[in-house]
Amino acid sequence: MGSILAAGLTGAFAIRLVAIGVSLLLRGRPALCRFVSLAGSLVASAMTLRAALHVVRARGAVEGVLLHHAASGIEFGYQLTPLSAWFLLVLGVVAIPVTVYSAAYFTHAVSPRRTATVGMAFNSLLGAVELVFAAADVLTFLFAWELMTLATAILVATEHQERASRRAAYLYLVMSHVGTGCLVAGFFVVSAAAGSTSFATMFVGNLAEGSLRHALFALFFVGFGVKAGIVPLHVWLPEAHPAAPSSISALMSAVLVTAGVYGLVRVCAFGLGTPHVYWALACLLLGSVSAVLGVLYALTQTDIKRLLAYSTIENTGIIVLGLGAGMMAMAYGRGDLAAVAVAASLAHVLNHAAFKSLLFLGAGNVVAATGTRNIEELGGLLHRMPWTGLFFLTGAMAISGLPLLNGFVSEWLTFQALLFGFASTPGLMRLNFPLAGAMLALTTALAAACFVRAFGISFLARPRTRVADEAHEAPAIMLVPQAFLAVLCLALGLFPGAVLGAIGGSVVSLPGIQLQTSFARNPVSIVSGIPSFDYVVPALLGIAFAAALLVSWIVTTRQRFASRRAPTWGCGGELTASTEYTATAFSKPVMMIFRGVYRPTREVEALAEVSAYFPREVRYRARIEPTFERYVYGPIVRGVLKVAAGMKVLQAGSLHAYLAYVLLLTVALLLWLGGKT
Amino acid sequence: MSSPLFHAIGIALAAIVQVAAMLAVAPLLKTLIKKLKARLQNRQGPPLLQGYYDLAKLLRKEPVRSETASWIYVAGPRVYFAAALSATTLVPVWTASAPLESAGGILLLVGTLALGRFALATAALDTGSPFGGMGASRDMTIAALAEPALMLGLFTSALAAGSMNLGALVRGLVQQGPSYHPSDLLAFAGLLIIVVAETGRIPVDNPATHLELTMIHEAMVLEYAGPDLALVEWTAAVKELLYLTLLVDLFMPLGIATSLSPAALLISVVAWAAKVSMLAIVVTLIESMNAKLRLFRVPELVSTSLGLAFLALAIRFL
Repeated sequence: MGSILAAGLTGAFAIRLVAIGVSLLLRGRPALCRFVSLAGSLVASAMTLRAALHVVRARGAVEGVLLHHAASGIEFGYQLTPLSAWFLLVLGVVAIPVTVYSAAYFTHAVSPRRTATVGMAFNSLLGAVELVFAAADVLTFLFAWELMTLATAILVATEHQERASRRAAYLYLVMSHVGTGCLVAGFFVVSAAAGSTSFATMFVGNLAEGSLRHALFALFFVGFGVKAGIVPLHVWLPEAHPAAPSSISALMSAVLVTAGVYGLVRVCAFGLGTPHVYWALACLLLGSVSAVLGVLYALTQTDIKRLLAYSTIENTGIIVLGLGAGMMAMAYGRGDLAAVAVAASLAHVLNHAAFKSLLFLGAGNVVAATGTRNIEELGGLLHRMPWTGLFFLTGAMAISGLPLLNGFVSEWLTFQALLFGFASTPGLMRLNFPLAGAMLALTTALAAACFVRAFGISFLARPRTRVADEAHEAPAIMLVPQAFLAVLCLALGLFPGAVLGAIGGSVVSLPGIQLQTSFARNPVSIVSGIPSFDYVVPALLGIAFAAALLVSWIVTTRQRFASRRAPTWGCGGELTASTEYTATAFSKPVMMIFRGVYRPTREVEALAEVSAYFPREVRYRARIEPTFERYVYGPIVRGVLKVAAGMKVLQAGSLHAYLAYVLLLTVALLLWLGGKT
Repeated sequence: MSSPLFHAIGIALAAIVQVAAMLAVAPLLKTLIKKLKARLQNRQGPPLLQGYYDLAKLLRKEPVRSETASWIYVAGPRVYFAAALSATTLVPVWTASAPLESAGGILLLVGTLALGRFALATAALDTGSPFGGMGASRDMTIAALAEPALMLGLFTSALAAGSMNLGALVRGLVQQGPSYHPSDLLAFAGLLIIVVAETGRIPVDNPATHLELTMIHEAMVLEYAGPDLALVEWTAAVKELLYLTLLVDLFMPLGIATSLSPAALLISVVAWAAKVSMLAIVVTLIESMNAKLRLFRVPELVSTSLGLAFLALAIRFL
């Protein structure tokens, strides 16, 4: 079976390479080019998904060599561990619907001239992420990691005639490379200590001691944290994710962020030996801060894709929170409790991928139909785009952590992890868990507010502009992938046991984890580590809910009248679209309450002719302070520029000076090396 | 006939009886608080059955719906109703076990109530009336602020009893007997504030007002009429009864029936009625002795509750 799988994985990469080649050759014929690259991607994703499913089911690792170059000694090896298979599975589940969707979406979102480039980058990105998850050694990993970064940058800069897109791509590249730099440094140290570049020997955990171990954790945490979008390393994310075409944004939020999370689980939590309590605290702290700040910023956005991007930061926060609880349990030697926490984290990776890609695809429909991303210019879309509305609503409810859908399941597990952390941690340290729990509760409830707003303002009431009034439903090929993802959200919510059963294999493969036998007894229920403590069967509640819904219908349809339609009451005046509640107004109370976080500035300008009390026009402009950009990155950027300016002296542009540098360096090296022998 | 089938029928019957009884009693509680409040103001107040008359009247009326609205507007009250009803089945009321406790515990309860709130707030945005938006915005904001305090308060009880499942929790508390731990008092005070906030009572919201700029829940449902409104009002009453029952369960479970003998059940029902009425008096007193807070003062009240809950947790487990 292993060899068939190996052929599958190698075949998938080969198909992607062929698709890239053919699509570049066909650049003159955009429709054909699009078809070839997306069809190739679809087949390759399906093949990888199949391999991943096999490993998840068989619970054993599969390894092999992708490419071997005898002359240079370069070898690209892969190793599908149960953990990487879980991430590959998540990737496949999202990549397939997104690819189908892109077939229609790219026709108008990507100009014909750029079709070949986008097709190439699309395949490269997916292939690179697959390789990141499957990589067995440092070289393969860094190659894939870099390819992933570059492919994403190309996709972010798809509309490179826009300054904002170029800026987003630049910011992304810079931040990513700072992260990659940290990773390279970390890998150097670990592989030097291990005497090998293979992950299997590098991350066994006994290679570093004391402060070196802390330093390694910090390096890897920053390196992977940049990709995962953990606050304060998140600043590139809300710029880059919205700039790409919507289906790419879906991939970025669902998959790219996941690559960072994969690294955090593989290396930071389980690769450097038993996690230190401080690491766990760092994860708990930054996880909760990311969750709360992510959702708070999401709540004030009027650009629907920026809103979704900030919500990705929130969900990464929840994932890291679960991981932090697991690390704390590991630090205190409770491998059984850590299992729940890590499972919570991994389950949320899948759930977030499902609902976030669903929401981004829905946003793509809206952008395609109206040409705007500003929800203040939308409204009433449910009448014109009923299916898009239904799917977006499903995603919105799932991301708000409401029962019967999948978001609830992983948030439930995260709460369990935090409560167990409280019960198993000694002393004052345990008080961190209820605090993190309170933050998680706040996050969940704010997310509900955020998505009531996002859905309600865009899809309900009257259209606020002509473009919203003239919107048309998306074609079936764009709706079917969303239907699939929406059903997936429901299915994952109703059958959480099945998901946990699949995760179980990945969790036990991690060092030091013991799995409770009672973890997932049947497909419909989940039990937290200690069965008497808590369990949940969403489907059972679903039956009660359906019955109660039936009662509500019986109670209210016994009247003799049909319902009558009347205009909405307008206090005696006439209601128009401009009198509707706006998104800005909706989030105003939150903005006022958390003004310490937002530090809003606002200008109100009333244009009056007769008296100040009868303004003809009121202009309102509100801005929130970009705290991290200004106070964290501002000084850093200024410092770097200052140092660079100082170093200009060395780089004078004189060839003689440069030759002198080379000579000096050679002499210095000779002296140093001569002194050594 | 297999025993799992009998078991399932038993669960279904228990759930139906409990939901029906809660539905039947809820309007009475609402009117009781109104009546008590009126007496405190030297007014006569409505007859005790007024809640039922109102519901009967609304249910017989013609449903008038906004021209702007979509199916969300119709679905909102129904989902709100169904969520509150299914939440009811997770809470032990007269016996020390909830009918549907095999479905889940505290987190599922909180999630289910959030589902109802989400549905109603979304539906409120559907008519295009600015009041709906205003109400939805405020309701979601206050709920978000209340959520951490609610969770912490519930966690304190759950960790003390050793289970997050409400049935097991109440049984654990009954078994332990009265604890007289000072943390109970703090947690109770914290949760009471949250219950007041979640049920839309003074000082957070005023259920009696239709004064445009201060209302929250009423603004959200302003456009509803006839049977749709009946569902909303009924659900709000059931939710209030549910929250008070939850307080009773967590802090004074004494008297709750641990067996199904008629005598135990009778005592339990009487004790429950007495305890809920007592809490209703407390809620009425809070309503009568306080003025409604400005919206932007509510966070202070809720953070007091959060502080109390955290303190309760700290002194209990440190």
